[in-house]
Amino acid sequence: MDNISLVLQSLISGISIGCVYGLIGIGFCVIYNASGIVNFAQGAFVMIGGMATSVLMTDFQLPYAAAAIGAIIIAGIVGAAVERLVVRPLWNRNVAIFVMILATLAAQIVIERMAYILVGDQPKTLPPVSDLPPMMLGGVAVNIQSLWILASSLIIIAALNVFFKTSRTGKAMRAVSINAEAAVLQGIPVSRMLTLAFVISAMLGAIAGILLTPTQYTAFNVGVPFAISGFIAAIIGGFGRPLGAFIGGIALGVIQSMAILELGAGFKNVAALSLLLLFLFFRPSGLLGSTR
Amino acid sequence: MFKTAFGRQFFASVVSVVALSSAAQADDVFKVGISAGLTGYAATVDRAWSDGVQTAVDTLNAKGGIMGRKLEVVVEDNRSNPQEAVTVYRKMVSSDEVNLFASGCVSAGNAAAAPMVAKAEIPMILCSILPKDAAWAFTTLPPAGFEIEKRFEYLRDKTDIRKVGVLHDPTPYALLQKDVAQKVAATYGIEVVSVEAYKQDDADLSVQLSKMQAAGAGAVMKIGLGGTTLTAAKNLKQLGSPMLLLTSLEDLAVFKPVAEVLGDKFFFVASPSQVYEVYPDGGLKTAIGEFLEPWRAKFGDRDPNWASRGWDSIMLAAKAIEAGQSFEGSAIRDNLEKITGFQGTTGSYDMSAEKHQGISTNPFVVAQIIEGKVRIAQ
Repeated sequence: MDNISLVLQSLISGISIGCVYGLIGIGFCVIYNASGIVNFAQGAFVMIGGMATSVLMTDFQLPYAAAAIGAIIIAGIVGAAVERLVVRPLWNRNVAIFVMILATLAAQIVIERMAYILVGDQPKTLPPVSDLPPMMLGGVAVNIQSLWILASSLIIIAALNVFFKTSRTGKAMRAVSINAEAAVLQGIPVSRMLTLAFVISAMLGAIAGILLTPTQYTAFNVGVPFAISGFIAAIIGGFGRPLGAFIGGIALGVIQSMAILELGAGFKNVAALSLLLLFLFFRPSGLLGSTR
Repeated sequence: MFKTAFGRQFFASVVSVVALSSAAQADDVFKVGISAGLTGYAATVDRAWSDGVQTAVDTLNAKGGIMGRKLEVVVEDNRSNPQEAVTVYRKMVSSDEVNLFASGCVSAGNAAAAPMVAKAEIPMILCSILPKDAAWAFTTLPPAGFEIEKRFEYLRDKTDIRKVGVLHDPTPYALLQKDVAQKVAATYGIEVVSVEAYKQDDADLSVQLSKMQAAGAGAVMKIGLGGTTLTAAKNLKQLGSPMLLLTSLEDLAVFKPVAEVLGDKFFFVASPSQVYEVYPDGGLKTAIGEFLEPWRAKFGDRDPNWASRGWDSIMLAAKAIEAGQSFEGSAIRDNLEKITGFQGTTGSYDMSAEKHQGISTNPFVVAQIIEGKVRIAQ
């Protein structure tokens, strides 16, 4: 493998993992758009996606597709539970947003512990969606699973765009985010919108988990690193912008890959956090501009 | 309640007797403290280690304990985190007043707590590498070079591969092994063409693996615990890489899905207990068999490797206590240093004042999982 191929291969690797970060970042955007809350339990939904699919396939002998759908439903239920049991009581008491954000972090830890108790600590994985060898373009390998992630992400972004801009429910969710009191006066059921936002976000997280687990392992404690990467992706892209989060994720993945290639793995997080700081200093609204 | 003086005196006497007898019972128990990563990256191995210690304690207690004194295990989760390890060590020293530590594989945590434990004059028998000041610490871990040398031997004797990449995590034990690999490779006619690091929570290792492949490596020597072995295997497959993956010791439960991904391109260093059925007869196999009987009765076919070393830690302590006829920390330490020719489940232990890492003969083999069965690689 020559130097150009190595750079291209690293670029492809960066884009592949970046798509995952972007997909997780999109989950952050959905809740943020509906409530203004940054949900740090998002990583737990990613973990549930991979873990629940694996458990449903191995312990309950469900086919891949049925297990994946089951996992998405489970994540949706957990998302609703987080909203009802953790966020709603605080929301009703009009506490500061940062309190709710901290509460979601606590929820992340609780979900992680429950997963550990229920399914143990052994790493698990999923088979690739299509078990094909990588596409070889010159000396560069393109992993088929990454194409699945890319395609799914683009479909989700398009669907969310349509949902938030054209549907009554999507518009209502955005209205709640902009001004909850005014939304109530307009007859929008705010609490239902909030629940729906958590359910959608949790399901998106689970989809990310299902798509990425075939490329690596999953375990009860994988959620936090993914949540951090997804959060950075969302900030880089412009918080609340699904397409921005996706582009931000790819930028993050590519920066990390190039840092590993040129400077060594020790600089991977340095590069990621430097990129985050650059955006916070010089363009806090992100690539596409924040929704607020 | 008690209307007469006699009644009051009788009640006070009963209370005193009960209290004294409880205190005496508490004194009678020999407490073994375990700082273990029950969660976090070391969870798989440290939980096994901890269960191995408990199995040894149960076995000894069933025989009446050590010199008639029963043993009790106090286990604390350090979450595979060195800072947390210091906290749990402090708790076990000051609150639980443990008599001996049989702690897990989080090297940095054991090293960080070692000065405090030494100050309290409590011997430590560890799963991990020894801390810098090892006056009170002993380890059941074979020297770091053994795992490396076995893999180099295999590559030299059984393959044409002469260039390798080393992929390691940032733990002290992995760094030690990485240094050994760079140092001894040439003596096996092998060149380390690339050394790459990763973190235990990394989601992708394909850039590191691509760099190794570009450098001409024919095999990846992975050093480190946890699910990243599975990530490395998946990444190799996604890259369409022909490189072999040779990993360090790990729980077989982690290896099984890796073998499903890479098949016969996957090799690992195995301890004798992991290949017990196919291991040659002898003292080592007998010692493993003595451990496996209670282990399998309780845990079935769960990986016995780290648990067997946890077992060894207690048996070494028992041997030292019986030799010195004393439960005092300093006596246990002194008599641990005098142990020679002790047949454990990972090898024969020969300790001395200068040598607190007792295993000096390489017990490992290179193994594979073919059709779900663990085999010594041919």
